[in-house]
Amino acid sequence: MRIKKLGVLSFVVILSLLIFLPNLSFAQKEVKIGVILPLSGPLAPIGKSLKDGAELGADIVNTKYPGIGISIAEWEGIPGLGGAKIKLIFADSRGDPAWGAEQAKRLIEDEKVVGLLGAYQSSVTKTASVEAERAGIPFVNPDSTSPELSKRGFKWFWRVTPHETWFTRDLFDFLDGLVAGKAPGVKAVSKSELEPLAVAAENTEWGAASLTEIEKFAKERGWKIAEGFKYAHKATDLTSEARKLTASKAPTYLFASYVADAILFVKAMKEMKATPRLIWGQNAGFIAPDFWKTLGGDVNGIVSRDVFAAVLGKVKPEADRINKIYKERSGFDFDGSSARDFIGVQVWAHALDKAKSTDPKALQKALNELHIPGKELIMPWKGVKFGSPFPGDTNQNELGSGIIIQYQGYPDGKPEIVFPFEMATSKLIYPFPGWK
Amino acid sequence: MELAVQLIVYGILMGLVFSLIALGLSLIFGVMNIVNFAHGEFMMVGMYIAYLLSTFLPLDPLLSLPFAAGAGYLLGVVSYRLLIHHILRGPMVAQLFGTFGLMLFLRYLAMYIFTPDVRSVKQGILVGKTLSMGWINVDASKVFSAGVCVLAFAAVYWMIYRTKLGRALRATSIDSEAAKYMGIDTKGMNALAWGIGGATVALAGALLAHFYYVTPTVGMLFTLIAFATVALGGFGSIVGAFIAGVLIGLIMVVSGQFVSELKFSFIYIVYFLVVVFRPRGLFGW
Repeated sequence: MRIKKLGVLSFVVILSLLIFLPNLSFAQKEVKIGVILPLSGPLAPIGKSLKDGAELGADIVNTKYPGIGISIAEWEGIPGLGGAKIKLIFADSRGDPAWGAEQAKRLIEDEKVVGLLGAYQSSVTKTASVEAERAGIPFVNPDSTSPELSKRGFKWFWRVTPHETWFTRDLFDFLDGLVAGKAPGVKAVSKSELEPLAVAAENTEWGAASLTEIEKFAKERGWKIAEGFKYAHKATDLTSEARKLTASKAPTYLFASYVADAILFVKAMKEMKATPRLIWGQNAGFIAPDFWKTLGGDVNGIVSRDVFAAVLGKVKPEADRINKIYKERSGFDFDGSSARDFIGVQVWAHALDKAKSTDPKALQKALNELHIPGKELIMPWKGVKFGSPFPGDTNQNELGSGIIIQYQGYPDGKPEIVFPFEMATSKLIYPFPGWK
Repeated sequence: MELAVQLIVYGILMGLVFSLIALGLSLIFGVMNIVNFAHGEFMMVGMYIAYLLSTFLPLDPLLSLPFAAGAGYLLGVVSYRLLIHHILRGPMVAQLFGTFGLMLFLRYLAMYIFTPDVRSVKQGILVGKTLSMGWINVDASKVFSAGVCVLAFAAVYWMIYRTKLGRALRATSIDSEAAKYMGIDTKGMNALAWGIGGATVALAGALLAHFYYVTPTVGMLFTLIAFATVALGGFGSIVGAFIAGVLIGLIMVVSGQFVSELKFSFIYIVYFLVVVFRPRGLFGW
């Protein structure tokens, strides 16, 4: 009898614990943010680094890190919400747009997240943000660059990173700067030395869009293109494509390629003893670790657009301090993607602090009016402020910018920043030194 | 003229490697009527052998060629004895799924061991060296590879058409039942076909590793082209695989020059036309 009573009693205790536990956790005050990332499949290594970046962001908001030099490091939780901690709930998109949307829905409906962050691939961001828009929940996108995403007129979607249009404008600013003699360590280059341009872009949505953007800006800025073509990506051989570039006699080669193709192009150009004066890559393959690990010294002199480089610490000490913590935890330096997901969490923290509430309407207002100055960021940006920097953009960060890096001193070197010129960490190697 | 010469040279050099890749596929199909989906993965194994030996021993990648061929032979024979031999008793679908499963197994085993990172052979007598001949600059390792491909073809051709073993293999290929009654060890012949198939494609892989990157999924790109090559040349035909490989190399380089976005389409258009108008291929029987 006694045992039975004891049994009933413990059952009641366990039941009440189960019922009250969620409330207990509520007492500690947590703000749940859903993070959608490609955590399995071919993009899993990148997904892991993005997750590390976001987790570090949350940790720096939640715990005091004295001496870093940015305000969230001084916080212990969100000040405007009485010190509530940020809790990230990760969901795996599998790199699949349909599955990513499904995860957004699950996070909103089942996990009751306050908002979303993600989702790296533009195609997944596109579908997942539709779910947020439908539910009236804010979606902060730190890491997708297809220009179209911010041109949909969404009211619940904010993009922190600059998009492709921007990066292409940077390229032409860089070229015009070279002609104007602004590049560090290089005398003014006559335009005829760099003209005409030759462009090779892979034939999926991203490469095709890059080619169109380059052609558009070239026309606007008065740069001639001798040869601009799309090629079948994941090729078994790119000899004829490389031959086309060398035969065009253009001194400047521009590429939009993923890593395997980028490697084949460099090998084929070397084989043909090509002698361009400038080789520029549109991020992606040209900044992938496999690119310089595979090619070693053959990458020296190649420039690529990027958004972050560890060497940025030279000109931005706070970036260096945060990068050190990141490296201790993940074993790698921040790269353009993981650093942007860090900033994504930072944007969420500032928005929650400003809104002083987790109500969607209040958050929407806070994000619309948000202004984070550049000194708070680990990126070489002027800050975060949402607006319409290019025609048709809504809720697109106006104060972002890209950088252009150059591979110097490989196989043991580091990418050096050569653009924006005022942020350059090294002299530009020009013209391209050629291959041994 | 300059353009034509360059395209022909690049096309033939690349085409010869395609030929060697397709040879094993054609041979296995010819002898056993079975399609080996894992063929590209056998090639990938050859590439990793060249990469590992040249990076960690370090041995010149040229010296890794016999090791790659030997490992390919073993891989072929073991695959036959442990897997193919058993699924032959099942329906056609079981055979398809069997080699498909082998492909997935090898690919993801490599993914597990080596991670999906892209690697390449960095050191070697021929690696990264360029030969200049008049209008043309060409990678020395491509020229060497083309030479080895021709030799490998000649060796396999000689073995099959000039030796007793080859005659037994051909007999098995033409009528396996009858060959068995004549006292030919048909199972042994099947294993031999898989061994030669594995050896040639792994050799092609080790050659390719001189100038191509290595990654666990690399076989996929070449398998499709190998299928097109075999269909074009004729299933089971050695001469067919040789000529079709060169033709495909030429088609690829020429279409890459003029319509690079669609260059693979041209290969598959040719494949399609052959399947429709001459299903037995150029040299098939």
